[in-house]
Amino acid sequence: MTGDITMESENYMTARAYCLTAAFWFAVATSFGILAASYLVAPDFMANIAFLEFGRIRPIHVNLVLFGFVTPGLLGAAHYLVPRLMQTRLYSQKLGLITVLLWNVAVAAGMIGLSLGHTTGREYAELIWPVKILIVIGFGLIGANLFLTIRQRKEPILYVSVWYVCAAVVMTGVTYFIGNVVWEPETGALLGISDAVLLWFYGHNIFGLLLTPLSLAVAYYVIPKVTRNPLYSHTLSILGFWGLLVVYTHIGTHHLLQVPVPTWLKVIAIVDSVAMVIPVMVFLINIWYTARGKLGEIHADIAGKFIFTGTIMYFFVSIQGSMMALPNVQRITHFTNWVIGHSHIGVLGFAGMISLGGMYYVLPRITDKPLYSRFLADLQYWLILIGVVGFTIVLTAAGLIQGNAWLNGETIYRVLPEIHVYYVIRLAIGVFIVIGAYIGLYNVIRTLYWNPGAES
Amino acid sequence: MSQEMTPRAVITGSLAILFAIVFVMVFWPHATRDMTPSEIFRERTAEENAGRALYIANGCVYCHSQSVRSIDWGNGAERIAQSGDYVADRPVLLGSQRTGVDLSQEGGEHPDDWHFAHFINPRFTRPNSIMPPFEYLGMDRIKRLTRYVQSLGGKSADSRMAHQDYWKTRVTAAYEAGPVHNAKWLSDHVPEGWRMVANPYPTSVAGLARGQKIYQDFCMGCHSPIGDGMGPAQPWIYPPPLNFTILKGREISGGILYFQIMNGIPGSAMPHFKAELESEKIWDVGNFVAVQFINQRDAGGIRRSEAGGQ
Repeated sequence: MTGDITMESENYMTARAYCLTAAFWFAVATSFGILAASYLVAPDFMANIAFLEFGRIRPIHVNLVLFGFVTPGLLGAAHYLVPRLMQTRLYSQKLGLITVLLWNVAVAAGMIGLSLGHTTGREYAELIWPVKILIVIGFGLIGANLFLTIRQRKEPILYVSVWYVCAAVVMTGVTYFIGNVVWEPETGALLGISDAVLLWFYGHNIFGLLLTPLSLAVAYYVIPKVTRNPLYSHTLSILGFWGLLVVYTHIGTHHLLQVPVPTWLKVIAIVDSVAMVIPVMVFLINIWYTARGKLGEIHADIAGKFIFTGTIMYFFVSIQGSMMALPNVQRITHFTNWVIGHSHIGVLGFAGMISLGGMYYVLPRITDKPLYSRFLADLQYWLILIGVVGFTIVLTAAGLIQGNAWLNGETIYRVLPEIHVYYVIRLAIGVFIVIGAYIGLYNVIRTLYWNPGAES
Repeated sequence: MSQEMTPRAVITGSLAILFAIVFVMVFWPHATRDMTPSEIFRERTAEENAGRALYIANGCVYCHSQSVRSIDWGNGAERIAQSGDYVADRPVLLGSQRTGVDLSQEGGEHPDDWHFAHFINPRFTRPNSIMPPFEYLGMDRIKRLTRYVQSLGGKSADSRMAHQDYWKTRVTAAYEAGPVHNAKWLSDHVPEGWRMVANPYPTSVAGLARGQKIYQDFCMGCHSPIGDGMGPAQPWIYPPPLNFTILKGREISGGILYFQIMNGIPGSAMPHFKAELESEKIWDVGNFVAVQFINQRDAGGIRRSEAGGQ
């Protein structure tokens, strides 16, 4: 991989734009998160400001994290690693930049819409119809640019990271279209209970077919690079890839185990949720064996550190997820803060960590300078690590209290005071994450624009 | 690296898997879904649908589920959700969190005025609530939202609403006839067996402290810290919350207080607490009210049926 055209930094304008996008929306998203967390502690704080009401900013927080921060961050890395692996340039920087611009317009418009109460009311599919169209077009443009890049490749063989990027863009483009019921502009929903089946098929695939494959693509690229080890097993990477696509797409209905949907759907969802252990462990064994004996190198490289931590979080969130699909476990965990803890360890601990790691891997290489501050990146790493682990512990505890109390017949109003202190601690821990996000934004901006560092 | 994993293989392979699974996991259940309405289903009115739009726009779905499970307790848990309940819902608002209560059967649990006070500030009627205030919606939209909430539960909600409306006129007439008549009417409302029962727990410092805690958590928003019925919810509620101090010398037994707290006073904003509070908690808060505001208690006394020789 020494092709000179792949080294020219002007060939990575799109990757830069994605990194900046991700760093910016990460800061905005966590700001909304901390505001929402503060409402749970003090519900009259900032009361009666319509566009900042809890029910309006919760989807803003969630959508910004998914589509503003994690996805663009991973796409930034993808727009670096696909051309590098294919020994060519990105097909069109202009198209790439237009896509980033369109993506940002869509995200901003979607968020303004949500704050004004324009929503479909379906989780992860809230955005209004014109914004959905923009995002579908966005996936189309990303796919076109990357596929044309692959088509002009000098390297005949596709590395596993490229499979994952291709699959993520294609499958999410289709899933997004179907899941958002784009052919129903008025409601963006189906009629009756099967709307919930579709919604959770789609909702879970945002993690399964977008965040996870892109994260795995980045990990498969960066971990061998950082450790200077070859990938442990090619066979495992094939098994993990197809296994993930087949198994992950079946499990969305595990959100509906306690709801009147057909039992066979629930059975498939439970069986496949447990079967998720296979693609997850296949990937982790592959990556961890690749890193075997090189943890010192990983510790020394900030990108490697973020990404390797992300793989550990992937282990925890996946095993936890398989457990949570068991009906006996879900009897306690469903509807509680346990699930919020689970989503934070998944989206921030796993995909978010890898997204940040991907950015920190790519940025020095596309700006030809070292990161503006390794110290700030390290500080951000620890703030986010403490934040996400703390979140998981606190919200899991709160969820267990809620779930067991409800099962024993204590009503919501009786249980609210019992979990109040956990909401307070969660708010405090959230401050770590917000500070981490703003430090990251500062570091990325300085790295891109005002970096006094020596040419590397 | 394998030669088989060509771009075409990756893309067609993933799409083939995706479409096969969409067919099985989404299309098939959708095509074969049962759209038979359940026995409690009814169509919503235009105003109720307008309220539902407000429910969606303001993100109520993120904290309130509309899906009762076989393991649930509390309001609405008498009826487990059926797919026939959702046949007119687009989108379906099942919810994924219970930061607040399940609303599947909320219709008719409270009269409208309770909801008005609750939407203005949820802590007016529910001091422990962490729901945002919705005063910013303005009264018109609060009323529309209330219509939707009162429709939840379909025909079951309608029968509960009819019960509320039936008693509303009576409870209002009793209030307007003056405190003497009102106090008597409220007591006569209680079955005689209950009226004869004294509070079985003796008055103790600990018991009063527990009662005060329950009072602060559940009662204070309407009845106020000093029991005069002038809590923050009062301006929205009619007939207004009861001023306990008018009850002195009217033979208000522990049993009367217990019965009214347990079952609420239909037609008024006084909800039932039988799902929220276990027996001893109701006795404790009743005794707290008797000692603190009525200044007349029968706690720990013998049952009147024994005293009266039955």
